[in-house]
Formats: sequence, structure tokens, C-alpha cells
Amino acid sequence: MFAQLVRFDWNTRSVLATLVVLLASVPLIYVVINSGQLSFPQWTNLWSARLPELLTNTLTLALLVALGSFVLGVSSAWLITRRDFVGRRLAVWLMILPLTIPTYVFAHIYTTLTEDDGWLGAIWIGLFGPDNHPPELYNVFGAAFILSLAGFSYVFLLVSDALSRSRVDIEEAAQLHGLSPRQVFWRISLPMLRPAIAAGLALVVLHVVSDFGAVSMLRFQTFTLSIYLQMEGRHNLEAAAGLSLVLVLLSLSFLILERFFRDRQRYYSAAQAQKPKRRRATRMELIFIWFWLGGITLFAFALPLAWMLAWTYEAWLQSLITEEFWGYVQNSLIVSVAAASLATVAAFPVALFHARLRNRISQGYLHLASIGFVLPGPVIALGILSFVLSMLPWIYGTMIVLLLAMLIRFLPLAVQAQEASVQQLSPSIEEAGRSLGARPWENLTRIVIPVLRTGLVSAWVLVFIDTLKELPATLLLRPTGFDTLPVRIWIEASEEMLELAAPASLMLMIGTLPVIWFLMRQHDAASK
Amino acid sequence: MKRGLLSLLLLSFWFGTASVSAEELIIYSGRSDKFVKPVVKAFTAKTGIKVVLHTGSSTALLNKLKLEAERTSADLYISNDAGNLQKGSDLKLFSSLDEKSVDSIPQDYRAADNSWVGLSARARVLVVNSKDESVAAIKSVFELADPKLKGKLAITHSSNESYIAGTTVYLRATDEKKVKQWLVGMKKNVDGSVYNKHSKIVKAVASGRKSIGLVNHYYIYRHLKKKPNASIKIVLPDQGKDDIGVAWNVAGAAVVKHSSKQQAAKQFIEYMVSEAGQKQFAEVNQEYPTRPGVSAAANVPPLSSYKVANVPMRDLGKYRNATLDIIESVGMP
Repeated sequence: MFAQLVRFDWNTRSVLATLVVLLASVPLIYVVINSGQLSFPQWTNLWSARLPELLTNTLTLALLVALGSFVLGVSSAWLITRRDFVGRRLAVWLMILPLTIPTYVFAHIYTTLTEDDGWLGAIWIGLFGPDNHPPELYNVFGAAFILSLAGFSYVFLLVSDALSRSRVDIEEAAQLHGLSPRQVFWRISLPMLRPAIAAGLALVVLHVVSDFGAVSMLRFQTFTLSIYLQMEGRHNLEAAAGLSLVLVLLSLSFLILERFFRDRQRYYSAAQAQKPKRRRATRMELIFIWFWLGGITLFAFALPLAWMLAWTYEAWLQSLITEEFWGYVQNSLIVSVAAASLATVAAFPVALFHARLRNRISQGYLHLASIGFVLPGPVIALGILSFVLSMLPWIYGTMIVLLLAMLIRFLPLAVQAQEASVQQLSPSIEEAGRSLGARPWENLTRIVIPVLRTGLVSAWVLVFIDTLKELPATLLLRPTGFDTLPVRIWIEASEEMLELAAPASLMLMIGTLPVIWFLMRQHDAASK
Repeated sequence: MKRGLLSLLLLSFWFGTASVSAEELIIYSGRSDKFVKPVVKAFTAKTGIKVVLHTGSSTALLNKLKLEAERTSADLYISNDAGNLQKGSDLKLFSSLDEKSVDSIPQDYRAADNSWVGLSARARVLVVNSKDESVAAIKSVFELADPKLKGKLAITHSSNESYIAGTTVYLRATDEKKVKQWLVGMKKNVDGSVYNKHSKIVKAVASGRKSIGLVNHYYIYRHLKKKPNASIKIVLPDQGKDDIGVAWNVAGAAVVKHSSKQQAAKQFIEYMVSEAGQKQFAEVNQEYPTRPGVSAAANVPPLSSYKVANVPMRDLGKYRNATLDIIESVGMP
């Protein structure tokens, strides 16, 4: 460790990376300082009164959502990458589109649909008679249902990517040796997919642990909701910080577990000899595939979309879509574009630093840059708020504060997305450019950026999507009177103004479509 | 590169639209936009002073005011809950108003030092399914703890502002032991499943999924407006000779101490306590105006027809933490 410190050379790259990581650590420092103010009896009180229930709730929910996302994500990825069928391209889209709907919108829509006079409620009562009320979602199963629908696409994306690059020759060899297709799947394909599945599930679990929207709508007490209630109801910032610290440790263990699985990936994905072939689906298979994928789509996308359209139409009839509404759309776009650009730029030195060094320090940087994923949004917002008020009061109240919070929250996404492509940028390529007489700027625009393109684009798109949907930090840090679409959805939904919440939800979805399309095109181009 | 230019362009656009000019009042509002906008519009029409609404939850906005202290851009604070208003007074976040400008509002509905003033009141009532015989005889909120209501009771989660305020009233009107028993009984009856919104409680009772619920009165009338034939009715609880009466809570407003526009902000409060302002502010949400002589919407039970618990609204702030301690010690969901 000490030897590494000595060898640490302070070039521009490491200075920039250090600055970004320091900034990303602000909320963590805040949490550590504030929880340090808890006395020992307060800790024990917190520990005995709150933690057992919160731990059980949070872990149960995470487990159920991981299970749900695994079933939905892996099955759909396998069907889509291994079979050729009518509408396959459409199916890929349908599996990704749920990402455009925020968890709080999912929760809001499904609690409305499952009321006795909601669409699903009415069907249920039609089937089982008026004395049988449809199941309620205000419990762990409801929350797991919502969060699985909202999150399985991450698993789908990562697993289908891995599947389309996996070693078909091994599978064929196994088949030649007499394994049935089912045995091949369970004994060969699935173990080879382990790193991708682990990465996807880790992403899902981290989203669950830090989710604020759905659990607050469904009132399911997880760590994040409880932290929020401590801050909100009692203004007990120390207790909130104490709980956050426990949450950080919990999430960190997930992250380390995921890294452990992912680092073994290199072993599995050797140079491939052969591209996987998609077998043409038989007629029975086709029916089954569309039954299954159609079912997923119905709940994860079609029903919410239909609901949004129906209520947006209602709002349009009542001419509620006013000029102000387009102002919210504009605000949302501004924040998302700015935050995505900022995060993409800021993530680059961190990713490069790790790609070049690959030692414990750079690994530590990577973990610190992941703070945004680990801490709940309200806590990050509060950390930034205290930091800005005490250190940089003159920027308080401007949009810079909000952008800082977005940067810290979504930096891990941008770093992860860039990591892979940065690895391809070996120093020798740059040196070759330089030796051929390229200036630094030329080197950057003609060599570095083209190599990094895929990574940069995915980083930008991922941060854009998540900022567009971001709620808790925006609620606290937005400049006065600066409402974004999620803020409006939250305000309207908390007063049950369905016809006002729907157009905003619909706009969020529409806003995400072009960037997803762009990402998919990029993805197709890369895999060809 | 193009992207950078685009975002710069967009940013400049933002600075153009969101900058707040000098003659505008900024209100941190914990009340739904829909209920504040009409009266704000009328105020602007009358005085020419423009208003920017920064909407959120009452508690979150109070916390924001506290953190911002002298850096706040807010001129006024509107809360749906007297507890938050009094808390803000205790934290010295508000300016005191002249007695003379708010003396039309009874003393129980404003701060002792006039640092906030209650504008509209809501009653904490029972909503019952009118076809359900099993709950027809219930006359007190304390009967909600009765084990025979297991699975039939609908309440909100315990961080709801109205829920906390109601509990404070019961605490002040009775004693800690009784309130604690009441909460324990309700906790058993709901069995971990609580609602996130009062409107969902009314719906659940109307559909027969639940038999009885504890809500603010206007949620019942909001539902009846959409569905006049819904099988629900209102029960004004605790009306017997020795009973405590219905719990009230007020929504109100305060002038932020660190605002640089004290005069205009006070003008806003003066408009809100005027007869015209009172009528508008309360009527949009079918609440009771706090100014005597201004009548509430015709469909709500007239104020003269029932007994209100004798607890000053400032107690909702003073005993808020005591209430939260009890709620937490019981572990209400």
C-alpha cells in the first residue's frame, strides 16, 4: 500500500480524477460527520428500535426484486438472443421501454389500477365477485412487483449483451456429448452468464435499496424511506445520517460482491470463434414466446402507457395542458442535458485513472465514485446543501447546486459505462499518434474520442435518463419556482390529480425515447 | 462539441426565464397548487404584486427554510398544518404581524406573537360505509381501537401531517395513556397495511373494502362530488356531553423573517384574512374559513352544528415532538 502511494504520480489525469472523487465524496463526508454526533445510547436505541425491522424489510424486498428481475430479465434475454421470430426487433424495444417509466409513476398507476373501480380492480371483481377485493399493493409483495417491473430491463440488457457474445462452441460441444437443451442451459449457458447476471442484479438491487419514489408511494418502510422520514418528520438529521451510514455499508457489500463476480468475467469471455446463431422458432415456440414476452410487456409497459394516454386525453379535454406544462418540459430537458454532459466529462478521468493504474488506490477511487448509487437521493441532496451553504454560499439557489447533486448521484453510471471502452484505449495508441506528430488536441479529437465513442454515448444516455426521472434531490435543491416533470408528477399525484400527473408521465417517457433509440443504434453498430 | 453548444444555449435560455424580478413575492407553499392559485391570482389582480409558488410538502419546506436561514429567497410560507407553522415560530423563522392586521382571526387560530395566522380549518372525522351495519354505532375516534374492527379500519401512515396533528389534539384533550392505548389498538386493527393518501381511504370505504376510516372532512366531499351516490357518510366523532369534540387543524401563512419584501408579504397576509380572501382560500377545498362570519361551502356540516375540541392550534407545534415520541414508541406504520 505504502509503496503504491510513493509511486503515485501527480499528472493532470490523477489530479482531475482526485478532484472528481473528492466532490463525489461530499455526501459521504457529510454522513460520517453527522452520524458522529450521535451519542452511544442514541446509536444503541437506533440499533434496537429501528434496524432489525428496516434490515428485514430492505433485504426481503431486495431479494424478491432480484428474483423477479432474474426471472423476467434472463428468460426474455434468452428467448430474444437464441430464437429468431416474427417481431424480434420489436421485442427488444418492448423489453427496454419500461426503463422510461419512473418507479413512482409505476407505483402510482398500479395503486390506481388495483382499486375496486380501477381497470384491474374491475376485472378482478368481475371474475371473483364483488365480495373479493383485488389484492392491495401496500406491502412487500406490492413493492416487489412494482420494482421488478421497473428494473428487470437492466438484467435484460446486460444478459442479452453477454448472450450474444457468449461461446456457442462450448454449448455445441456439450450438446454433441449428449446434453439435452435444458441441461445445456442450466449447466453451460447459465454459469457462463454469471458475471452479467450478477452485474444486472447488482444494478437492480442498488436501485431497490436507494429507491425513494415507489416505497414512499406504497409506504413500505425500507432504509431509504425511514431515513427520509427521520429528516422530514422530525428534522432529526443525525439519526438520518446514522441510518445512512448503515445503508452505505450494506450497499457497499453488494458492490464488492458484484465486483467479485465481474472480475472473473475475463476468464470466461475469451476471443470468440463463432457468432451465436439464432434458431428459427417453431410455431409452438412462437406462440409461447409471444405469450411470455407479451405478458411482460402488458404489465411493464402497455398498461401504464394506456393509463397515461387515457388520462392525458382527459387533461387535454379539460384543456389542462397549458403553457406552464411546456415550461416544466423545458426545465426537465435543461437539467437532464446539462447533468448528462457534466457527468460524462467528469467520469472520464476517473475511468481512465483506473484503466491505467489498476491498483488499490484506483479501485478505492472507483468505490468512492459509486457513492451516488449507495446513498439515497434525499441524503445526497442534504449533504450537498450543507456543503454549499457552508463552503460556497454564493452559488446557493442557482441551478449549479442541483447539477452538482445530479452529477454525484449519477457519476457511477457514467464511470461504469466508460470503463470498458477506456480499457481499449491503450497508451500505445496515443503514443503512436504522438510519435506521428499529432498535437494533444488532435490526439484527443482523432484518436481518443473515436475510440471512446460508445462508452461516452452510453454514459451520456444513461445519466440523461436517470436525471430526467430524478425526484428526491430535485425536490430539495431546485431553484425557486423551477419545477421539473417529476416534481410536478409528485405534486399532482400527492393531491390525486390524475389528469395532471398523466401528461407529465407521458412526456417523461417520450423524452426518453430518442436517446434510447440512439443507444440501441450504437449498440447494433457495435455488435455487427 | 455541438452538444456543449446546445446545452450552453439551453442554459442561457433558463437564466432568461427563471430569474425573479423585484416586485415578485416567493411563496414556499405546502398546500396544493390547485388550492392556492385562485387566491394568488385574485391577489395579483388586486395589488399588481406577482407571486411565484414553490410547492412541496409543508415539513420539507420548513426544513428548507431552517437550513437556508438568511439566505432564503422565500418571502412567505404557507403550510397545511398548524404544527409546522408553530415550529417555524419557535425556530424564529417568521416575522410577527401587527395585532390589528390579523385581529379578525380568533386567537386560538394564530400564534401568540402573531408570527403566523390560520386561514382555513379542516375537521378530523370518520368516514363510514353507509351499508355496513357493523360500524353504524361508532361515535368516537377512540372506538377505532376496538378489536372488532380488525381488518376493517383504514388510516394513513403515521408521518402524515394531519394524522400527527389529530393525534396531538387527542393527546392534549385526554392523556398520554389513553392515546397510547388507542394507537396500539389501531395498529393491531390495520395489521401493517396503511394508506398513503386520505383519498384512497375514502375510496376503500366507499367500495366496501374497508368499513371505516379516519380522514379530513373535505376528502369525503371531494369523493361525493365525483360520485354523488357513493355509499359513504360522514360521522362527526366525540359529540357527547363529556366527549372531547372534533379535532381541528388549520392551514395558514407566515411572513419569512429574512425576506427583504416585508411590506408586500404583509399585504398578502392582509388580503388572505380579508373576507374575500378568506372565502376563496377556504372554499376551493371545502374548508372552514377561520374568520368568523365568513361561511363555509354549503355542503359541509355548518360549524354551529358540532363541538370542536378545545385545543389551541399553537399546541400542534408545541406538542408535536411529544406526539411523535408516542407514535414511534408504539411503532405505528
